[in-house]
Amino acid sequence: MHWRHVFKVVGVLTIALACTMIIPLLVGLFYQDRSILPFGIALAATLAGGTAFFLVGRTDRTEFVSQREGMAIVALGWTVAGVFGALPFYFEGECPTFVDAFFESVSGFTTTGASVLTDIEAVSRGLLLWRSLIQWLGGMGIIVLGIAILPFLGVGGMQLYKAEVPTPVPDKLQPRIRDTAMILWKVYALITAAEVLALWAGGMSFYDAVNHAMTTLPTGGFSTKNASVAQFGSLYFDLVIAFFMVLAGINFSLHYQMLRGETLAFWRDSECRFFLGAVLVLTLVVSFDIWGSVYATIGESLRYGVFQVVSIVTTTGYATADYEQWPAMSQLILLLCMFLGASAGSTGGGMKCLRIMLCFKFCYKELFSLIHPRAVTHVKIAGKGVPDDVLRSVLGFLALYMGLFGLCSVLLAGLGVDMTTAFGAVAATLGNIGPGFGMVGPVENYALIPGLGKWLLIWCMLLGRLEIYTLIILLVPEFYRK
Amino acid sequence: MKVIIIGAGEVGFHIASHLSRENKDVIVVDRNPEALRRVSDNLDVQVLQGSGSSPVVLKEAGIGSAEIMLAVTNSDEANLVACLAANIISPSTKKLARLRNADYDDYHEIFREKAPHIDTVINPDIEVVKTIYRMMKVPGAVDVGEFADGRIMFVGIRLEEHSPLNGIKLIDLPAKLKGVRPLITAIMRDEELIIPRGKDRLKAGDLVYYITASEQLQETLAVFGKQEPPLKRVLIIGGGRIGYRLAALLENQPIACKIIERNPEKCDRLAERLNKAVVLHGDGSDQGLLAEENVGEMDAVVTLTNDEETNILASLLARRMGIRKCITRISKFSYFPLMSTIGIDQVVSPRLSAINSILQHVRRGKVLSAMSIKGEQAEILEAMAMATSAIVSKPLRSVGVPKGALVAAVIRKEQIIIPTGDTVIEPDDRIIIVARREAILQVEKILAVKLEFF
Repeated sequence: MHWRHVFKVVGVLTIALACTMIIPLLVGLFYQDRSILPFGIALAATLAGGTAFFLVGRTDRTEFVSQREGMAIVALGWTVAGVFGALPFYFEGECPTFVDAFFESVSGFTTTGASVLTDIEAVSRGLLLWRSLIQWLGGMGIIVLGIAILPFLGVGGMQLYKAEVPTPVPDKLQPRIRDTAMILWKVYALITAAEVLALWAGGMSFYDAVNHAMTTLPTGGFSTKNASVAQFGSLYFDLVIAFFMVLAGINFSLHYQMLRGETLAFWRDSECRFFLGAVLVLTLVVSFDIWGSVYATIGESLRYGVFQVVSIVTTTGYATADYEQWPAMSQLILLLCMFLGASAGSTGGGMKCLRIMLCFKFCYKELFSLIHPRAVTHVKIAGKGVPDDVLRSVLGFLALYMGLFGLCSVLLAGLGVDMTTAFGAVAATLGNIGPGFGMVGPVENYALIPGLGKWLLIWCMLLGRLEIYTLIILLVPEFYRK
Repeated sequence: MKVIIIGAGEVGFHIASHLSRENKDVIVVDRNPEALRRVSDNLDVQVLQGSGSSPVVLKEAGIGSAEIMLAVTNSDEANLVACLAANIISPSTKKLARLRNADYDDYHEIFREKAPHIDTVINPDIEVVKTIYRMMKVPGAVDVGEFADGRIMFVGIRLEEHSPLNGIKLIDLPAKLKGVRPLITAIMRDEELIIPRGKDRLKAGDLVYYITASEQLQETLAVFGKQEPPLKRVLIIGGGRIGYRLAALLENQPIACKIIERNPEKCDRLAERLNKAVVLHGDGSDQGLLAEENVGEMDAVVTLTNDEETNILASLLARRMGIRKCITRISKFSYFPLMSTIGIDQVVSPRLSAINSILQHVRRGKVLSAMSIKGEQAEILEAMAMATSAIVSKPLRSVGVPKGALVAAVIRKEQIIIPTGDTVIEPDDRIIIVARREAILQVEKILAVKLEFF
């Protein structure tokens, strides 16, 4: 284990993070609000911290990055980004304690969108932009961005990439990892820009359009309004945002293929079909369920049903309705959506459609071989056999996910939180969704969770974003043995 | 530039490693997922599982947009079929195949013109035999390469304790040596490659690489205190493909040759095909046999069996029996750094030869040839200076030759110039550059080979 190398890379990434703080600083200067001084201090502190890390590792000449180091860099990098990203929140005084600021920052980077701020509209514009910006950076991945723009990460970039984007079947769009990362970021930026235009054209202020686009594409869900998207009360905005949420929930390499002119790319990909099909079916069921019981007309039911289901299943977490007032079946469907999540290779969280699909197919294969004990069968995706080690890691992932969900909810309940809230909060943070149930429902927030509970949920958010293995491996003693 | 490599063995792996470091888009195809995992874990390249001779797999790898395809699997047949399939799908892709069977030797040209249109056929065995022969001819040489059609030699020798140059500063060399002067371009010290400057001293135990005109080779060797009588007797251990080729080559020289082979059938075949060489049946690491055949009297021992451990042991044994020149065949690259510590300096590897000649062909165009130094820490490039490139029409000191690189020689028509800071390179000069691995990219830039790579 080359710790110096780990520190060096994390140092450079932190310095890069400091550079991104210039953007909200400029916005603050433009609006002349009170975020200027906090950002100045935070920028200096981040720069100093990054330099310190870099100096520790400066003598390092490692060329080879092992899988272990890749995981250490990613896990440490995300934690450090969370800490430094919290500084502006802390210095501006929006968060009374550092854990609150840290929670808000990690919730941003991990694209969760769970907030502890009660009056969002009172927060300065510079800081609100920062809140959206860190979601945007975290959505496609800070390490992937690093690989794209920092040439020295090219060596061993694949290890870092695999640790940050741990899809069951990794696809490399280009032979070189740097080009792959660059393409993903370009596609991401392009779609974000499209959404800014669409919202702005519909009459949203440019500032709000930029903020909402930057939190839709990473499936983050931070809004600049107290009542989230509901505040606008516009059908047009609901539809535009829902459309872009669905796009964000689709594998970005499919977007790339689409932009290159392969118009059937979405249809040809079996996971994408599964995801879009699930969205369609669940939307219809929920809309039918709330028709009459909550909303009088079918139009209204569809409008709110679509938005809520899409928002939860893509793990974005915007709200236009308080789904806690809905019938039990709809609430349970939304809870299950939190586990389902979006596609692998998208910016969404949750368990990912691909894993669920593989799990279903695996179960079917087991049933099939009970009927035909001598049959030789393979789990296939798109006509190709899935290797056994991939299946094993998928099943292991699902087991770990459920196990951690159980453990963390018990721990949270032990801190004095009621049962619905404990379940909802852990499911919503582990899946990087944002709003949960009970005390942390769509119209409340996480401010009332006790301090220790916030630490636990911060851990859940990081676990969910890095898809468990990368982070939990740090708890295994074997990891540190020479 | 996109390169498809068929075969993720040692050769495929190392070529991929070289090319990906030079920012080329590399796709490696192999049937074995384990071999691919080793590639994708260590290198920044794309991997694809499947048979390289399958048109479907080739298409999936994007053969249509690939500039070059290297077929370097262990099987000659697979390589041929891969080239055949590639030729059907994408005739414009340059194809290179490694064919090791000697029976194909006469058909290399025909393959280029007729059916599979293989642009280059590489047989590393031929290269290895050439390398061994060069090493034999140059006493004390650890590494020998030829540039500018053999007019310039690149020699690596181990500096010994009693050498007159031990401990001398490079800047003092011209004062000490009146006549010929070897141009020292690189020094390997404790497995670290140094591109030396005037202040650096030579030390005993260094592996010194220098460049000289071919006709001055003997004089320069004398400068280092390396002089040996010409070879008379050679013992070859291992009568495989390379052993046979070497024996057949030596038969045409006034060199007496003995060849030891363990397999009786192979011995039969060797005896049938060789006329003057003495074929012996036995184990090359059998001390009794070696003593019986007067190994101590031999001028050189070459160990060429397929088993590298046997080669190493046989070479050590021969050294102990008083042989000064032992050439050992090694395949595993990880063994290279160990070799000098156990006293075996002269090492050949068919794989390294294959890599060198393939790299040379990949860079063909303005870079005329390339050779990597032991341990792959540096490369020597021979390139043509073009009128448009940054390196010409300026004194070298203002060209901005990257750190870790050295312009070692300039060949202008028949003349060989050892450049100084004031030398101005003219268009169509051939230049020889020694560059550490990390400097190769920048070297390519100042040569501006990028514009017309092929």
